[in-house]
Amino acid sequence: MLDINNISKYFKRGSKVFTALSDVSLKIEKGDYVSVSGSSGSGKSTLLNLIGGLIRPDSGEILYKGESIFDQNAKYLNSYRKENIGFIFQQFHLMPYLTVIENIKLSCYQKSHYDSINEYLEKCLLVNIKDKYPSDLSVGEKQRAAFIRAIISDPELLLADEPTGNLDPQNSSILMSLIEDFNKKGGTVVLVSHDPSVVNHSNLNVKIELGRILNGDEVS
Amino acid sequence: MSSLRLVIKELLFRRISSMVILLTVIVASSVSVAIYTLSKASENETRKIMREQGLNLYIFPKGTNLIDFYSINNTETFPDIYVDVLANSKTFDAVRHLTGILQLKYPEWKDANGSVHQIVLFGYKDEAQQIYLSEQETMGFDVKKETVQLGALVAKNVKAGEAFIIEGADGKPYSFIVDKRMEEGRGIMDQGVSFHLEDLQKLLGMEGKINKIEALGCVCHDGRIKNARDQVQEIFSDLEVTEISSIADARENQRLMMNKYGAFIIPFVVISALLITGLLFHQNVKSRNREIGLLIAMGSSSYSILFMILSKAFILGLTGGIIGFFAGSWIAEYFGKEIFRFTALSIGPVWAVFYYTILISPLLWMISSWIPALLATRIDAAKILSEE
Repeated sequence: MLDINNISKYFKRGSKVFTALSDVSLKIEKGDYVSVSGSSGSGKSTLLNLIGGLIRPDSGEILYKGESIFDQNAKYLNSYRKENIGFIFQQFHLMPYLTVIENIKLSCYQKSHYDSINEYLEKCLLVNIKDKYPSDLSVGEKQRAAFIRAIISDPELLLADEPTGNLDPQNSSILMSLIEDFNKKGGTVVLVSHDPSVVNHSNLNVKIELGRILNGDEVS
Repeated sequence: MSSLRLVIKELLFRRISSMVILLTVIVASSVSVAIYTLSKASENETRKIMREQGLNLYIFPKGTNLIDFYSINNTETFPDIYVDVLANSKTFDAVRHLTGILQLKYPEWKDANGSVHQIVLFGYKDEAQQIYLSEQETMGFDVKKETVQLGALVAKNVKAGEAFIIEGADGKPYSFIVDKRMEEGRGIMDQGVSFHLEDLQKLLGMEGKINKIEALGCVCHDGRIKNARDQVQEIFSDLEVTEISSIADARENQRLMMNKYGAFIIPFVVISALLITGLLFHQNVKSRNREIGLLIAMGSSSYSILFMILSKAFILGLTGGIIGFFAGSWIAEYFGKEIFRFTALSIGPVWAVFYYTILISPLLWMISSWIPALLATRIDAAKILSEE
C-alpha cells in the first residue's frame, strides 16, 4: 500500500544543516500496525509527516498504491490527506471553540460519516460529554475525541505521533485498545512512540536512530 | 461542518479580539461617514446661505454705471432672449441660476391713501435651466403672473390677497393680486414691488427687454469671475459681469477647508484602521496556528484557509461598516445641529454612502487581512502540530 523508497530529509537551522532522515526505505502493507521508535530527534516524527504528506522529502519517493504522492499537485495531496489519512497527535489539537461532536464532524467530508459518530462516542465513553467543549474535558477524553476525529472518515491509514505521551497508564491503555480495534478492522496504523509498552501493540517495530532505520523487527 | 459556521464559532470564541477588530472598523467607518455627512451638510448650508443672500453675479449692459443703475430709471436694456441664449450655450458654464430682471425706478406711485412714493419695480423672468448642465433646483424669485410681491415698506397697510394698483406707461391702471408681503431688511427690495417679467414689461411698455441678469457663480478659487467674464464676453460683447461677494464666500471657504481636512482625515483614519486590523489579524492567525495546521493536516486546501480568514474579515467589515454608518450619521446629526443653521433639521443618513459602505468596508477589511490570510496558508503544519 505504501512504499517509502530512499527518502532523505534535511532541515536547516541557521547555517547548519541537520539530517532528519537519510536514505530510508520501508514497505507498509494494508492492515499493518507499524510502530516507529527511537530517541528524541531520531527522525520518527519526520517519517510520519512525510507519510502524511505534510512535508516534502529532499530526495526519494513515497508511493501510495503505486502513485508517488509528491509528484502530484497540491489538490491531490489535500485529497490524499483528507480521504486516506487520520492523524492523532500528542497535543490532541482539538478546536477550542467546537464541542466534542463538532470537533469530530470537522473531519467528516461525506454524509455517511455522520452515521457512525454515535457508535464511536459510545465506544469511547464520550456520549454524555459530546456537547462539551475541550476545556471541560480530561486529557483522556480529549485524546479519545481526537481519536474519533481521526478515524470517523474511515481512513486507510492512521498516523499517530506519540498519542499516549500526555496520558496516564489507564487512559493510555484505553486509547491503545481503540487503535488496535481500528487495526483489527483492516485499518493500517503507523504509530510513533518511545514508550515500549505501546510498541508491543504493533506487529512491526521500526527503530530509527540518527535518521536511519536500524531494523524492521517483527513484534511477537 | 461548513466553513462559515467554523468562522462564526471562532469569531464568537475569541470575543475580545473580534470586538477590538470590530471596534476599529466601526471607528474608521463612523469617522468617515460623519465627516462626509457633515461635509454634505456644509455644502447644503452654503447653498442655502447663498439662496438667502441672493444671487452673487450681476450681468449688465457694458458700460453700465452701477451708481446710476440704482438711482435712475432709464438704464441701458438688452433683449431678455439673451438669457435663453446663455442658458443654451455649451460653453457657458461658469455661472448657474440665470435670472433675467428688469429693474427700474417708479417715481410716482400713489398708495391707498393717495400719498405719492418713489418705489422700485422688479420684473423677474423665470429662472433659465442651462440645458448642458445638470438640472438644479431654482433659486430665483418665483413670481406668478398677475401677482406681485411687496417689499416691507410698500406692504404697509396692504394685506396679502388684496389688489395692488399701479399706473402703466400707457396711463391706464393695472391691478395685481398681492401674493406675498416680504419681511423687512432686504435692502432696496424693502421699497420695491416684484412682478413676473412679462407683466412688468407690459406695464412699462418694454416688451422683450431686461437690464440685468442675476446669476450664481460657483464660489471657486479658480478665477471664477474671470471665467464668467470671458464666457459672457465671448457670447455677448455688449454685456459685462460684476461680482457681489457675500457671506456665502466665507462659508464656501470654510466648506472647502473642511473638505481639505476630510480629504486628509478620512484616508488617515481608514489607513490607520486597516493597518491596526492587519496586525490584529496577523496576531489572530498566529494564535490559531495549531488550528490552521490541523485543518491543513486534515486536507483543507489553501483556498479553504484563505476563505476562513477572509470571510471573518468580511463579516467584521460588513458589521462594522453598517454600525459605523449609523454611528457616523448620528454623530453628524448631533454635532451638525450645533454647527449648521439652515440645514440642521435636514442632516441625516446619506443612503448613497450606506450602499458604498456595505460594498467598500468588507472589501477593505478583506484586503487588510490578505497578508495574514496568505501567511496562514503557509503554516508549517508538520512543525506546528509536532510542538509539545
